Amino acid sequence: MKLLIKNAAKIMMFLLATLVITGGATSCKSKKKLAREKAAAEYTMKVEQSKKDLTAMLNGTTTWTLDEQDTRLNTIKSYNIDDAEVIDLISKVETKISKDRAEEERKAEEERLRLEEENRIKNTESKYQTIDNKLNTIAISSSTEAANNQIKTILTEFATPDVPVLIIISNAGGFNDYDRPTTISKFLNYLKDKQQYNYKVDMVKRDTLGKIIELELIKK
Amino acid sequence: MKFSYFWIVVIILGLSFSANAQDELSSERKQAVDSLAIEKVRDLSKYISIVGSKETPWSEANRVIDRAEELFMSGSEIGVSSITKAEISYYSVRKYFERLMRLNYKKVEIEWYNIEYMSDLQKQPDGTYVGVITIFQKFKGYDAEGRLVYQDTTKKDITVYVKRKETQIGGRLIGFWDVLLGDMRVKETSK
Repeated sequence: MKLLIKNAAKIMMFLLATLVITGGATSCKSKKKLAREKAAAEYTMKVEQSKKDLTAMLNGTTTWTLDEQDTRLNTIKSYNIDDAEVIDLISKVETKISKDRAEEERKAEEERLRLEEENRIKNTESKYQTIDNKLNTIAISSSTEAANNQIKTILTEFATPDVPVLIIISNAGGFNDYDRPTTISKFLNYLKDKQQYNYKVDMVKRDTLGKIIELELIKK
Repeated sequence: MKFSYFWIVVIILGLSFSANAQDELSSERKQAVDSLAIEKVRDLSKYISIVGSKETPWSEANRVIDRAEELFMSGSEIGVSSITKAEISYYSVRKYFERLMRLNYKKVEIEWYNIEYMSDLQKQPDGTYVGVITIFQKFKGYDAEGRLVYQDTTKKDITVYVKRKETQIGGRLIGFWDVLLGDMRVKETSK
């Protein structure tokens, strides 16, 4: 009886130890499984999110800037997702971003050139505005006598009364088409007769004394 | 040597192509030339009213006659009609303006309107563009008491010649369109 009790205690101890060992092993196994499942779920989510973002970038429905799109694309690429659809989308988005970037650069260059031209015109306008105003004064003179006095004053700014005046009637197709050249004296009298100044000074050439030796106008 | 000749021929062909390209008119350039010709007719209209006006000083009128003459091809004639006479008289440009200056009215009003192309500028084999511009002229003559003693409306056709020419200015070769007016023919006269 004593022996039976002693053996039973041993058996119990053995069973308990087996239970503990088996139980611990089973618990470790399920944790790994859970971790694997969690990782798989995260991966799937990453793939789905990547597809969503890439599609939005491709369709142009995102509000991200090109730089932000570039950053997001690089992040997605760093995932090394092994999915045919994602790989195809990455390639398409890469092409689209580089196209958009080229378009953005083209627009920026166009804008720069437009501003440059605007400034050039503004500078030219202000540069020749005084001459334009003086020529206009002749056209709007109240009488022949007033116009003649104005002509006398303006002529002092020219080297001679025979200084050539060129009038551009069209600059289409890269050619300057001119009217028959005239002289400043005839042109000033023409303004007096016509009582209209429908031109804009386009170019002025001066001699070393600052007197005008050639005047080029463009018809408005 | 053969190589040099080749390049000379290529350069000559290139230059002649460039010259031709400048003579050929795109619709935009043609429009500018059309407007230029109309503008010359408007200039003539202005000169006629200045010379016709009794308020214009003699020296001014003579200067304007010189400018008006420059608008025409040499030998051009201007037709003059009247509602009191059946025949139409033709005068040289200078003679026409001199007669206009001496008209026996105290005050003269001359107005041109409906200035437009009757036939568009057409390129001729020699490169000159020729067209016809029609104008309507309203003439009014007043006596010393300010009474309207004569008035008529005349329809006139003016032939226009436009040719591309070149000239050197300040060392630059300038290509310009030379617009010259030809005969001005009376088509209709009414009261």
